[in-house]
Order: sequence, then structure tokens, then C-alpha cells
Amino acid sequence: MSARVAVVVFPGTNSEDETLRALRAVGLDAERVHWSQPETLARFDAFVLPGGFAYEDRIRAGAVAAHDAVMDPVVDAAQRGKFVLGICNGAQILAEAGLVPGTGPLRRPTAAFAPNASGRFQSVHVHVRLNVAPERVPILAGLDPGAVIPAWAAHGDGRLAAPPEELQRIERDGHLAFVYCDRDGKRVPAPNGAALDCAGLVNRAGNVLAIMPHPERDAWTYQHLDASRDRARMLAPSGGIRLFEHFALAVRGGALV
Amino acid sequence: MTTRTFAVTLTIPDNEAFTAFETLGRLGIGVARVVRSDIWIFDVDDGAGQSLATTVASIETIHNPNKHRLSERASERPQPGEVWVATRDEAKATTVGGRAIPGVRSIRRRTAWRLLDDTGGDVAPALLERAVETFLCNPAFQVATTA
Repeated sequence: MSARVAVVVFPGTNSEDETLRALRAVGLDAERVHWSQPETLARFDAFVLPGGFAYEDRIRAGAVAAHDAVMDPVVDAAQRGKFVLGICNGAQILAEAGLVPGTGPLRRPTAAFAPNASGRFQSVHVHVRLNVAPERVPILAGLDPGAVIPAWAAHGDGRLAAPPEELQRIERDGHLAFVYCDRDGKRVPAPNGAALDCAGLVNRAGNVLAIMPHPERDAWTYQHLDASRDRARMLAPSGGIRLFEHFALAVRGGALV
Repeated sequence: MTTRTFAVTLTIPDNEAFTAFETLGRLGIGVARVVRSDIWIFDVDDGAGQSLATTVASIETIHNPNKHRLSERASERPQPGEVWVATRDEAKATTVGGRAIPGVRSIRRRTAWRLLDDTGGDVAPALLERAVETFLCNPAFQVATTA
């Protein structure tokens, strides 16, 4: 039986379709779950919070959704070792919920994906590199050391911000899951001005991952500007799908604990 | 150089304030009403601020007379019962919507929150503090200031 993954949709989420498509392409039984259906989440094995603008980013990006009733079972599941992946706005929600880096109490954020240094929404193709040992991210089971994944960064609030001592802790204790890099894996400054060139954070247990750029938007070759006009080649998997393949491996293996 | 402070408040229903009200209620912080204002603080050259209020009122990025009320504050500090939330590492801005204002050296922005009880008065300071700690401010990148 295929592992069941809930793609949690808030008012303002806008990336659920491509996220569902990527999850289903790697063999997961992914299903959209509306924010008004928190009681249905108990039957899922893992959770994905997709991108968008939940609650119009009111107050702060991710802040309202982090306190939504539908997050209660997600937070509980994360505490019990189930896998939770947040992409873009989903990453912002996980930070506001205190699940990443997870160094403080729940719902008391110690870090944030704050407004970009440019003060503007930015959409740019990027590469991100696994910055921790693969065993630190069991949510991406079997990912190679230093793996480079292409993705599209598309956000106005993606700049990792935290007090200096928290940034030290994030780097020292292996929470800096992904950094921005070039296509060869060489670390480059974050396009949004993020501290530590951070593109993704992981919690202490390694079962909750927040990643700002969208791997699901680089999951098929037609999503490139220079894509082939040949239909078969356009529909070939692209680099972003690798993140979902390793997420699927982890989810099929069961919860962390 | 002098400092001039303006508050801009919606005169139409404020969806963001209503969302804050709903979320605070879910967090067990019962208030009767939430009022939100945008605070604009201008550092201006001496003598250059005489027409500032008129200029500010004419910049639609700040103030749209069809839906906003603009008022000048006597202080660049929050009023009693109010909390101001700002970005901790706020970049120094000199333009609004790409437009420079003559005599303006820098522009700072805050969000002002006021929580009211069912008598229309401000909630107790302890309740306001709880709202700030649990929801209105993310201390990782924001700073909250009260009177």
C-alpha cells in the first residue's frame, strides 16, 4: 500500500497542484486537505505544506497559518516523528510554528523567513546544496552528500533572520539543511540576503524540513526557459523531482521513531 | 533635523486586524476589537517639514483618502495602550514607492496595534504583552515597543 501524504491547503495557498503532481509522480498517495478538515489528518503518514500566501501573509508570512487549527495535528505528528515538509510559504509556516529550527518552545519562533533584503518579491532560478550530512535529514532518505537540487525561488519573505546566537546554533548544530549554490555546488550568496545563505532548515530530529525555493517547479524539463520543444523530452523528470523521490523513500520507510 | 510621525488607519473594514482578532481569540486572548495603523516616521531637514503633511496626504502609497484616515502624532513613540512592531534590521529608506520627498532624510515604518476590551478601553498591559509574545511580534526579526 502506498504511503499517504496530506498536502495541507490554507486560504491563499497556490502551489498545491504542482506539489501533488510531484508527490504522485514518485508514487505517493498524496491528497489535498482543506484547512477546515483538521480531523482528517490522523490517517496520513506524512505532511506537506505547499507554497502560496496563506491568509494573504497577514500580520507576517506564515504567522496566522502557524496558529490555525489544522496545524495542531501537524505539530503533534511532527513531535511523534512523522515527516513534515514545508515549501516556501510552508517553510515560513514551519518557522512561525517553531518546528524549524526547533530550538525553542513550539509556536515561539526563534528564526524567521523575513522580508527579502531587496524589499521586493523575487523570482529566480536557483540551485540549493545539501549542507549537512545525509543522516541529519532522514526526511530525505538516501540523498547523496552535497546533493545539488535545482529549484525556483519565488518569494518576498525568504531571508533567514535570527539573533546572532541563534544563527550560530543553527550552523553549529546542523539545522542549516540547504544553502544556495551554483550548478556545480559552490556556495553563493542568497539572492534574498538570507543569513548563512540559507535555503532550508531542518529540525533536530531531521523529520521536519523547511525549504524556501520550489523544487516542484523544476520537476519536469518543460519548466525551464530553454526547454526542448520535443514533447517527450519536455515531460522528462528534472532535477527538482529528486527531492520528492528521497522524501518518498523516507515516507515509505515509516515515521522516524 | 526634526522628526515627524504620521498614523494611517483604514476607515473601511480592516481584514488584517480582523484576522489578528480571530487568531488572538484562538490563542485564548479575548479582546473585543483590534485596531491596526501604519506608522510613518520621517526625519526631515529643519524648515523642510512645513508642507510635509500635505505631501504625505497626497502620496497614495501612504494615504488613500477614500479608505484611510491620516493623523499626525505628537511623538515618535507609541501611545499608551499601543504596541509598535518594527523590523529589527530595518533598512534606511529615503523614498516612498520610488518617490523622494523634498527635505526627507529617512523614512521608518512601524505597525501599531491596539487591543480594546468590551468597554472600548485598552486591555490590561499584561494581556497586550501576551498578545505580542505569542503572536503580534516574531522576536527573531522584529522588535515591539510599548509606551
